[in-house]
Amino acid sequence: MGHRDIPVLETERLVLRGPEPEDYPDFKATFSSYRSRFMGGPLNKYEAWMLYAAEIGHWEIRGFGMWMIHDKATDETYGMAGGWQPAGWPEREIAWIIWPDKAGKGYALEATHEARRFFYTEGGWDSAVSYIDPKNLDSIRLAERLGAAKDHGAATIDGNDAVYRHPTPEQLKNSQIADGIALEISHYCDPLFKPKGFAID
Amino acid sequence: MPATVPHIHTARLTLRPIAPRDWEPFCACAMSDRFQYITGKQDLGGAWRLFAAELGHWQIKGFGMWTVTETGDDDTALGIVGPWFPADWPETEIGWIMFEGGEGKGYAFEAAEAARAHVFNTLGWETAVSYIDPENARSIALAERLGAIRDDAAARPHPDDLVYRHPKPEAV
Repeated sequence: MGHRDIPVLETERLVLRGPEPEDYPDFKATFSSYRSRFMGGPLNKYEAWMLYAAEIGHWEIRGFGMWMIHDKATDETYGMAGGWQPAGWPEREIAWIIWPDKAGKGYALEATHEARRFFYTEGGWDSAVSYIDPKNLDSIRLAERLGAAKDHGAATIDGNDAVYRHPTPEQLKNSQIADGIALEISHYCDPLFKPKGFAID
Repeated sequence: MPATVPHIHTARLTLRPIAPRDWEPFCACAMSDRFQYITGKQDLGGAWRLFAAELGHWQIKGFGMWTVTETGDDDTALGIVGPWFPADWPETEIGWIMFEGGEGKGYAFEAAEAARAHVFNTLGWETAVSYIDPENARSIALAERLGAIRDDAAARPHPDDLVYRHPKPEAV
């Protein structure tokens, strides 16, 4: 699959498109900040550009990759989500990063849920993991909200990461976790919804 | 996008945009001592990211490194040669990395000369440099064969690099 063939995915609030050159400044801002500390950062300008170029090259090499998350109405970018498997990765990963000032609105959940659905139904994936730094509590919490559970027996990248295994397509079908994800996303989408409390994480 | 880019032909070589099928020879090179003067010897993850970035460079910039092949043997990558201009690069560069088996036949010179003609005539560059590690004697010799001259006043990505400035477009 070439870069030009990257599918466009739509959710309630978001559009997921392949990473474009003009989106780079947002990516650079995040990867040169402390926000990227669990993802190999912070990076200098050259390193950030090379990683962005690699995000684009990943699509061409693997046929899947990370989408840029856009607001459906304004086109503003909020982060990236999708699949990631550079050489040395034991399994195909579902990964995400949200720009620091866009966190807390459920965008990662909405985008990642859609990306996983796409890989399961269109990409033929029957399994996926997320490799997460054990100190990255926000990401661990998101993995759990997506129904992933820590897999102590799975191979890690380098021994410094925890492996969270996503539910299989079969496990997700008509499941309580799938209903829960849909409900949570719908609550984020409805600005009038007033939750009785917030998850502490 | 690279599929739409016309290839470059020289007397013996065909240059095509770097492609996913070039991974194995690139990886072997990047994880060997051959990379000591390029970025330093890479581990597997580092080699893969560099390779993916080579492909992404084409998508972002519309140009990038060409895979050097003998005309008629499209699948055997002998090296990569061509324009390189990532973020934070002081100037437009022409780079070359020959793989094992691609050396000793004048292929790097032939490919670099063609790539230089391409950046001047097709991309419209008005100047080009090559950044070379001072201990990389073979690469320095190639730059000099191409008519490039040391430019000690020019900015460089790393303080230890040497800058070789290529002749102006009208001179080549």
